[in-house]
Amino acid sequence: MYKLLLCWRYLLTRYLALACIISVMLGVATLIVVNSVMSGFSTKLRDRLHGLLSDVVIEANSLEGFSGPAEKMAKIRSVPYLNERIQAMSATMEVFAMLQFRYPNGERVTRMVKLIGIDPKSRDQVGGFKEHLVYQKKNAEASFAIPQDVKEKYENDHLRLIWKARAEQREVRDEEGRPPPEPTPLRVTVPCGVIVGNLLASYREKDPDDPAGNIITRYLLTKGQEVILTTVGGQKLAPVYDNFVVVDYFESEMSEYDSQYVFVPLDYLQRLRAMPDRVSSIQIKLKNYQDAKDVVETLKMLFPFEGLSMATWEQKQGPLLHAIAIEKGILNVLLFLIIGVAGFGILAIFTMIVAEKTRDIGILKALGASNWGVLKIFVTYGLLLGVVGAWLGTLLGVSLTNNINKVENFLSRLTGSHIFDPGVYYFNEIPTDIQVWMVVGVNLGAVGIAVLFSVLPALRAALLHPVRALRYE
Amino acid sequence: MLESVPLLSAVNLHKSYGKNAARVEVLRGLNLDVHEGEFVSVLGASGSGKSTMLHLLGTLDRPDKGSILLEGNRIDNGPAEERDRLRNHTFGFIFQFYHLLPELNALENVLMPQMIAHSFWSWLVHGRSLKKRGRELLERVGLGHRWRHRPRELSGGEMQRAAIARALINKPRVLLADEPTGNLDAATGAHIISLLRDLNQNDGLTIIMVTHNLDLVADTDRVVRLVEGRVELGDLIKSG
Repeated sequence: MYKLLLCWRYLLTRYLALACIISVMLGVATLIVVNSVMSGFSTKLRDRLHGLLSDVVIEANSLEGFSGPAEKMAKIRSVPYLNERIQAMSATMEVFAMLQFRYPNGERVTRMVKLIGIDPKSRDQVGGFKEHLVYQKKNAEASFAIPQDVKEKYENDHLRLIWKARAEQREVRDEEGRPPPEPTPLRVTVPCGVIVGNLLASYREKDPDDPAGNIITRYLLTKGQEVILTTVGGQKLAPVYDNFVVVDYFESEMSEYDSQYVFVPLDYLQRLRAMPDRVSSIQIKLKNYQDAKDVVETLKMLFPFEGLSMATWEQKQGPLLHAIAIEKGILNVLLFLIIGVAGFGILAIFTMIVAEKTRDIGILKALGASNWGVLKIFVTYGLLLGVVGAWLGTLLGVSLTNNINKVENFLSRLTGSHIFDPGVYYFNEIPTDIQVWMVVGVNLGAVGIAVLFSVLPALRAALLHPVRALRYE
Repeated sequence: MLESVPLLSAVNLHKSYGKNAARVEVLRGLNLDVHEGEFVSVLGASGSGKSTMLHLLGTLDRPDKGSILLEGNRIDNGPAEERDRLRNHTFGFIFQFYHLLPELNALENVLMPQMIAHSFWSWLVHGRSLKKRGRELLERVGLGHRWRHRPRELSGGEMQRAAIARALINKPRVLLADEPTGNLDAATGAHIISLLRDLNQNDGLTIIMVTHNLDLVADTDRVVRLVEGRVELGDLIKSG
């Protein structure tokens, strides 16, 4: 009983203890905020990576791809183990290409892109496509069909050009002064639809009319605008090209994808490249992702000598995910050093408190307190400081994390510059993810360090000779 | 007539401090018997070993040689837990500088030996009655109205009275008082001695009091003089 009473009184009366509490509190709060923000980034990144990549991918190792995707998918379905676990599959053709279009000022622009041929219907079942489309995300299914308004605009624009050309032609007269014969009836063919990455078609900037400086998106490649895609096709991989009309934008919020991806219908791309029935990958969505590794192994056995590689999305993004995990681990070690510093603070302050309380320790021993009892006073005191500091740190850390964007706005207003620039990270807000196990772990770690660093001074107190302690000046 | 077994005996006690050249021999074969209900005062010059003897008798320290007997049973060589228990239950200490814990009020200081004796759960059960006893003891020493006060808010005499109440809370068999009036003025000192005398006479409490002050020993049963670490033979100033 006396241990608790004395701990409590020491906590209330020793201002030095406040320094320990504050240092533990700041360490815990920092760890919670940093871990939550890193987890937020990491979770969002994983969600997006996984959203774009299906659970398992079968890929060709060459630009020519592989033939017979339908037969391969049927073969996969014929294996009961795989059939039970696979929810959907979709064939995809990926190839590099050049995208040409004109800026509103007429200047021609050429960009290197990754041209992806997909089958919208099966791709919808696999996921990672329709939900990222700017205009069609709420539609029942994604489509490359040209909307009526876009079609009319395209036809009108082209008819005007043709009429103008014909009108000029009709001014021409032959030697006898007769106009040229009446041309055949006009018919404009609207090209195939294309979905381009949002960052290929637009750029982001601070709204000059908005005092808050919010980021807005300005489109340079508008819906209905014509683009030319040039890629390679045929056995000799000769250049092939065609015109397309922009029907939608792909916005995954992953700048790497949004600035490179251009989607066209798979069958159209196969025809354009003169590679009928060839694809470069099959995307597979599983009913339960836990089975991914087993499914990959089974697929490897199913297609042993066909130059195909099979991987889960995590294996494909392994280096990136591994880098994030390492970064988080190193940061945690570094940040735990903050609490380590707090621990040394506790050690120093406790040593001072034990020196200050030497006579009291003698009194307690004279009254019958055991060495173990005295040890427990100071270890409990360390525990109490750790618990109070960790509790306050958790309150502060969770509050800061929950209001991190408000804090960022406030600091940005205060300093006059964006601390978190959405233009750089492409997130409109700082993503956070407070994980309970992380908060519990940080708390346990902080309390553990507080107790650990209080053991040495507590031992010193416990082993004090009662007579020497009573005579201590 | 058969002499009764002394309550507390020191047999050939030796104690020295320091090492080698700096070694100081404080007790050099001290013998002392104290019977139940006796009020013994111990006189002696500074450095004669009075406090050391008290610490050894109260198991706060161990003798280099010799033994301490409680009712004929040796107590100086027992395990630490046993000696802790003796200090808590059998001996009560009063010090010259009161030695109250500054963070606690008078009542909490008085209750400290009980808190040490009881676990948290036991305290939850018995705390109320123990607090009542603490308040009664404070009433008895004349501090009933000051129980909430911290030591810094009490005078020297009041602090010593609180320390006496603390020493009595566990109903000890022997009260060991180390110059209890050494830091007090004459009148307050006399009041403290009168309180001790009252405890001795009315409660039968055995008291061993170390003092410098010859004037205070008049009320005690027996006076023992320490000279060079031994009880001076044949020089009992007074025998009750």
